Amino acid sequence: MFEQAYLFSILPKLFSAAWVNLQIALLIAAISIVMAMLVTIVRTAKIGVVNGAFNFVASFVRGTPLLVQIFLCYYVLPSFGIDLEPLTAGVLAISLNSTVFLSETMRGGLQTIDPGQIEASLALGLRRSVIWHRVLLPQLLIRILPLLVNELTIIIKGTALLSVITVVEVMRTAQQLAAASFRPFESLLGAGLVFLVLNVFFILLASVLETRLQKRAT
Amino acid sequence: MTGFDFSLIADHSALLLTGAAMTVYVVIVSFVLAFGFGIVVALLSFLPGAVPRAFLSAYSIVLRSIPFIIVLFIVYYGLPFAGFHLSALLVGILALSFYKSAYYGEIIRAAIVALPRGQFESARAVGMSPRQAFVHVIAPQLVRGLLPPSTNMTLTLIKESSVLSTVTIGELTYQGMVMQGATYAPLECFAAVSGLYWALCAGTAWIAGRLERRAGLAQKAAIDRNPLAASFLSFERPKVRR
Repeated sequence: MFEQAYLFSILPKLFSAAWVNLQIALLIAAISIVMAMLVTIVRTAKIGVVNGAFNFVASFVRGTPLLVQIFLCYYVLPSFGIDLEPLTAGVLAISLNSTVFLSETMRGGLQTIDPGQIEASLALGLRRSVIWHRVLLPQLLIRILPLLVNELTIIIKGTALLSVITVVEVMRTAQQLAAASFRPFESLLGAGLVFLVLNVFFILLASVLETRLQKRAT
Repeated sequence: MTGFDFSLIADHSALLLTGAAMTVYVVIVSFVLAFGFGIVVALLSFLPGAVPRAFLSAYSIVLRSIPFIIVLFIVYYGLPFAGFHLSALLVGILALSFYKSAYYGEIIRAAIVALPRGQFESARAVGMSPRQAFVHVIAPQLVRGLLPPSTNMTLTLIKESSVLSTVTIGELTYQGMVMQGATYAPLECFAAVSGLYWALCAGTAWIAGRLERRAGLAQKAAIDRNPLAASFLSFERPKVRR
């Protein structure tokens, strides 16, 4: 039968494993936000070959499952002489995935910026790098902040897939607990609860940010 | 690295195509179930009172917070608890449909909310039967609102179905792993697997794009035919027909 006591007894272990997921997810989010900014800036330079290459990679990333991309980084890169730890391979795969999606988000965000600002900046004689650094990026990041938090929840969910390449995080911990106790249902329910707590926090944060920003805009 | 061996893929093409067919099957069945369940959930949220709307929000927040792989395993181990002993395939399809129903529910609700008010009543007022009003007035507008987000969600559904490989359902990713176990050639296996997913997603996007264009064309033609409407509803000057 369903053992509530067992479920409560494993929650501390699962929550400490969630720390691993959160750390991985924040690392991935940091990498992909920086990468996405760089990619977006490079894309606006409109170099045919570079943008073509990006579109090709983006189409691949958007057309294949994250799980397969994780397998690609973990199982296939070694045949090119790049032998990665499971954790590194996972971080690489999810970062690549998020970079592509975030760059699209940033492209959408750029379209909401008043072109007059660019004219004003150019009229003031600002250099391209200064326009990006001081004018565009700060506004862009504020505008897409809710979407960035949303992407963070997607990344957090993605970290559960790293269990299949033996990264010991919440899901893997739950499976180990299940194997030891023969109580898979309670163990996985516990893992679900942990993700629920983690992500509900960020989902609510995103919606609060969104209403705040909308108020500020009007 | 020893180069890319196409013959490996050719040798295992039957296996890979079986996997792809299983993925297509799972996706179609899950789409129908999830969309149907999404309609029910969306309509329930319109019941009077704050409770139904709060229920839909809670339902979708809970499912959006938990990774699909965990929902899958909870359903997989939970159903036997409830006395249901189903095949892995059926469990996988049920879990995927259940998971996605929250997302489709939100999409359907948003499309209904976006409908201009009073359309149904106006159609009834000019003498249409309720059925005619729905088919000729409401449905075309609903479809236009539903198509783009549903397409995105369905592409996610295709990709998320790869997680079913973890409970031994013989879909594309699983067969790719089987092939890898037999050949020890990860490059060829995952190149083939990702190529097939890519093709599936591109095909789905293409079909959806055609549907979207068709749904949009009727609207565009209707506006173009009516200069008065165009003066309100269109941002562009009507194009001169050649």
